Amino acid sequence: MEIKYTIQGLLVYMTIAAYLLAFFTTVLRRPKAGHALYLLGFAIAVCAFGYRWYHVRHVPLQNLFEVFLCLGMIYPVSLFCRRVLRVGGYSADMLIGAIVLSPAGFIFNAEPQQLPPALQSWLFTPHVAVYMLSYIFMAKATFQAICQLAGKTVSCRGHLARDSRAGRPRHLDLLPPEEATYRIICVGYPLLTLGLILGSYWGKLAWSDYWGWDPKELWSLASWLVFLGYFHFRYMFGKKHPRINSLWAIAGTATIIITLLWVNLSRIFSGLHSYAT
Amino acid sequence: MWVGLLLIIVLIVLSIYGAFIGTERAEQLFNRPPLVVYWTALAMLLIIGIAAFRRLLRVPGLLLIHAGCVLILFGGMWGSRAGHNLQNRLFGIDKIRSGRMAIYEGSSNNHVTLNDTREQKELPFSLKLKDFRIEYYQPVYLRIQTRQGRQWKVPVEVGKEFPLSEEAGTIKIVKEYKNLKIGMEEGKSVFFDDPSPGSNPALEVQITEPGGQTSTRYVFELFPGHSHGQDKFLLRYHRVISDYISELQIIEGDKVVAEKDIEVNHPLRFGGYHFYQSSYDDKAGQYTILQVVSDTGLYVVYAGYWMLCLGVIWHMWLRHIFSGFKT
Repeated sequence: MEIKYTIQGLLVYMTIAAYLLAFFTTVLRRPKAGHALYLLGFAIAVCAFGYRWYHVRHVPLQNLFEVFLCLGMIYPVSLFCRRVLRVGGYSADMLIGAIVLSPAGFIFNAEPQQLPPALQSWLFTPHVAVYMLSYIFMAKATFQAICQLAGKTVSCRGHLARDSRAGRPRHLDLLPPEEATYRIICVGYPLLTLGLILGSYWGKLAWSDYWGWDPKELWSLASWLVFLGYFHFRYMFGKKHPRINSLWAIAGTATIIITLLWVNLSRIFSGLHSYAT
Repeated sequence: MWVGLLLIIVLIVLSIYGAFIGTERAEQLFNRPPLVVYWTALAMLLIIGIAAFRRLLRVPGLLLIHAGCVLILFGGMWGSRAGHNLQNRLFGIDKIRSGRMAIYEGSSNNHVTLNDTREQKELPFSLKLKDFRIEYYQPVYLRIQTRQGRQWKVPVEVGKEFPLSEEAGTIKIVKEYKNLKIGMEEGKSVFFDDPSPGSNPALEVQITEPGGQTSTRYVFELFPGHSHGQDKFLLRYHRVISDYISELQIIEGDKVVAEKDIEVNHPLRFGGYHFYQSSYDDKAGQYTILQVVSDTGLYVVYAGYWMLCLGVIWHMWLRHIFSGFKT
């Protein structure tokens, strides 16, 4: 564990603090203050990402520190899920934001690095960015799946919204966890597919092969396949086995965590993607 | 559907197993005859699925996804080693699947050493290397560290003196060498830049102590740990490579038919082959090594990628946007 006594480190710690405060404030039934703190945390996370970008002079998605910094900007996904998908777990997102920023703050090395020739490609940003976005969605889906397994019933009366016609506040209905899991995975899966295909196309341009049987490639294929299995299983049985549906979703996110962390940090999986630590 | 789900689970297990055994063994595993049977079964099942399940034909997104997967599998198998062998047997197409070729600056070559068998084959055209060069990130820095761990980083600017601290004094880079050699003249060591082929990048550094005493040090990029016990500073000179560039010409007969500077991420495509910057002569920078890869099956795979992407995006996003979300 290492504390970063730098402006970059300070911004990361401020974001974590704002997210944690937002979480506790929301849990203590002060949703407006919680939302304001969450928004503040997001603003600081954007500053941290922007500062890093200015500092390294390329899109900061090269190593695990930068990737986790990016993952910390969870607020828009959170808002999208709540407003558009009608999925709950808003306060859990604040906690997820704090959790994903913690390795950036305390574990990963923040030493700036110049891009090696292989990473100097127009595909670098879209490939990593769509993967990160999909990972955030899948993490949210997993939270819903865990809620489903735990038998937690999410209140159908969700957050307050302004009724546009009457001008009165009204409650928006939130989906039950099983459906919420499905809906979020439906949003995240195309991003996961795009990430895999962009990576494959990039591999062809950089390393001469669109598929190199590298450990990271195989784990990312495994995670894509687990969610593919989820869709097939859910198509076959619908909501008859909600617990198994949830287990598929949790297994998918487990393979994502392995793809993102274990493959890069462990010496077991040395390969073409080893530089991304 | 059960068979489909079973095949997906088998592929998940194989992918995870393949990740544990390493790249080379995983490639061998996924190209073995039982796996060829598996790939064929998967492709067949997808085709049967498209034909048998009406829903797959009626829902455009699902059709694109499944047909895209068929194309990816077919293109992959057609471009594989076994696919190339089959094309040779059936149609007499004797195409190099993958290999490497070394080309010296100013000369041309059409011999490719195959990656699989190490035998040599000829391309129907030649490649000439006009020039090979390596580019570095600028500015380059000299890193200075005291034995107590205090560090500085100064840009490599010849003739400029940089103050370090009151106790450490100043440092000046006197000369930058591309290929430093040491000779003897009248019993004394003489350092000079050798113009003949070779590479030994180094810096001549002058350290001035607070009392005014000066000393000269040579910092070698290729020998980063080089220092003496009495040295006050540990010096490190390291340039970060930003690009490798081979300036190539394609020659058919006596005519130059194409020209391109290839770099990492920017291969040359010609005559059914792709040429990639793979390696180089790290001793003297006299030659480049290119990876030569056949493009057989590649565009079928790309078509499959497009279909898969469009299908997934249509099925999971766009149709919902157009018709409102339904679960």
